[in-house]
Amino acid sequence: MESGGFGSINKSIAMLSLCGVMLIAIIYGFVAYIEPKPTPLQGFTAPFVFGKFRVPVDNPLTQEAVQLGRRLFYDKQLSGDNTVSCSTCHLQHLAFTDGKARSVGVSGKTLDFNSMSLANLMWGPRHFFWNGRVDSLEEQALAPIQDPNEMAQNLDDLIDELEADDVYPGLFRSAYGKISAENIARALATFERTLISADSKYDQYLRGELKLSAEEELGRKLFMAHPDVKVSLRGGNCIDCHSQFLTSGFNAQFDGFSNNGLDTEALLNPGLQFTTGQVTDRGKFKVPTLRNIALTAPYMHDGRFTTLEQVLDHYNEGIRVSDSLSPLIMEADNQPQDAVNIRISLNLNEEEKRAVIAFLHTLTDHSFITEDKFSNPFDADTMPDA
Amino acid sequence: MRKLLSMSVASGLLLTGAAIYVYQVSQPGTVRMRFDAVVGNKPLVFNDARYSNPGGAGMFRIRDFQFFISNIDLHGEKGVYRVPDSYYLARFDNSSTSYQINLANVPRDWYSAVTFSIGVDEVANGSIMSVGDLDPNSRMAWNWEVGYKFLLFEGALIDSDTIRPLVYHVGFNENRKTLRFNLPEEVAPDSSDALLFTVDVLALFTGKNTVDMAALPNVKFDRDDARLLAGNYGTMISLTARP
Repeated sequence: MESGGFGSINKSIAMLSLCGVMLIAIIYGFVAYIEPKPTPLQGFTAPFVFGKFRVPVDNPLTQEAVQLGRRLFYDKQLSGDNTVSCSTCHLQHLAFTDGKARSVGVSGKTLDFNSMSLANLMWGPRHFFWNGRVDSLEEQALAPIQDPNEMAQNLDDLIDELEADDVYPGLFRSAYGKISAENIARALATFERTLISADSKYDQYLRGELKLSAEEELGRKLFMAHPDVKVSLRGGNCIDCHSQFLTSGFNAQFDGFSNNGLDTEALLNPGLQFTTGQVTDRGKFKVPTLRNIALTAPYMHDGRFTTLEQVLDHYNEGIRVSDSLSPLIMEADNQPQDAVNIRISLNLNEEEKRAVIAFLHTLTDHSFITEDKFSNPFDADTMPDA
Repeated sequence: MRKLLSMSVASGLLLTGAAIYVYQVSQPGTVRMRFDAVVGNKPLVFNDARYSNPGGAGMFRIRDFQFFISNIDLHGEKGVYRVPDSYYLARFDNSSTSYQINLANVPRDWYSAVTFSIGVDEVANGSIMSVGDLDPNSRMAWNWEVGYKFLLFEGALIDSDTIRPLVYHVGFNENRKTLRFNLPEEVAPDSSDALLFTVDVLALFTGKNTVDMAALPNVKFDRDDARLLAGNYGTMISLTARP
């Protein structure tokens, strides 16, 4: 009897535990069903000379996120009146710029700033927009969508639109789970992180695959040197702001922001001062990457220069003095300076200016602007409204 | 019976405690080094022309000041602990104008001296690998053919109405300065306060040779000029006297 009693207790314990295990299994199965299991992005590489990069832990690079982000990037539904997508101002064949001095969005009003190229965004300054006001691509992505002059879209309305769409609910489910503003931002940021330009003539030169022409090599040497008349070193001074491999601004803190002498004190735009509140940052702007620079005219944050020749003329003899002007620009001169009457000029000769421009052309990456993975996915679709 | 039980519990606790203690004292820990910047007898304030040109007329302001600390060795009773990949870019553009290094996983020992370099060693200076704070795409890199700036000082000299840019970029292998500091008392990982150092920015212009900024407003690739400033920066760091 006794042993039988124990036996039945044991049996009920066994039954209970079995039920428990089954319940846990069911819950686990359910959670596993609703939690997406996206596939890590395969074959993702970048040159080691670009240095270390970080992907946010809560937004890893996955195939599903890239696919979703790419579609969102090219989708006009992202704007309030469905006329403008991210790609309106970031066109692949112009290295994701728009060819305009200053961009125009849904309001038709000319914006204050030039559209920035989107390449190698995981390196260089970790602050986005010309004035560095946000610290992540995720944060950046939602700003133009909501800006009344850019895409003028209410995020709740956008989520409703995407939920009613045939394709998006499935894409979001497999990439992140639900449709939310946060996940829209994550997907766009992920697609942008994959936009790597690393096959220009300069990259091929760095890999030892080819030699630069004599003119390009002269330009490269000038690019990479701060001039020093004391040791007869001629330099174009570019590297003081544009790093040697990335050609972007520096990534530590706000080192990648500079006042490059575009305006006098009276006309100086706040720039980085908007973000830091420091008056000494007035007139400093994000130093952009120079990769594909021959494709991304007009130049400067307000698109004031239409050609690279004008840009070189500016650095060579057009510098305007203001308090936050970079001392490296002020000081750089290929001729001995008059200690009393300082006239800011790089004093490069015409041949040298042409050589710097020839080097800048070696930064053009044709495979970047024709890469299928970066192109408009709607072009290949049979979308009725595309 | 009860006595035996409580005795065994007590001895068990004691043994566990002893084991934890032994485990702890044999574990590596953290040694902290803090560098506080001053300008002579004044605090460091950026972007303010409040300092006198040590060798001539005018007042100067500092826009940027940073330098590499590398190859940190801790000298202990059991031997020398070489901190791996120790390349640190010291910068002071923060509210406390100080820079702190936390050396993790330092072996348990009593350390009586520390050595480190201002600048980077020849191997690192000729490499484009990112190690520690070495970054060939940073503002401290000249380019891969020249190597790193060991110390960067940028600012301006203001004399009546004239503003002259000041650019002091000092590098080259011969200008690495290795400094040794004998600590006033031995330190052990985790159990001691941070090692305190004072960095005197002014020593860059007064250390061994006094510099007139008007006569020498920039130093870049001229070897003699670079050596002159390196001789000066070799004196700029000292152990902070404890009150």
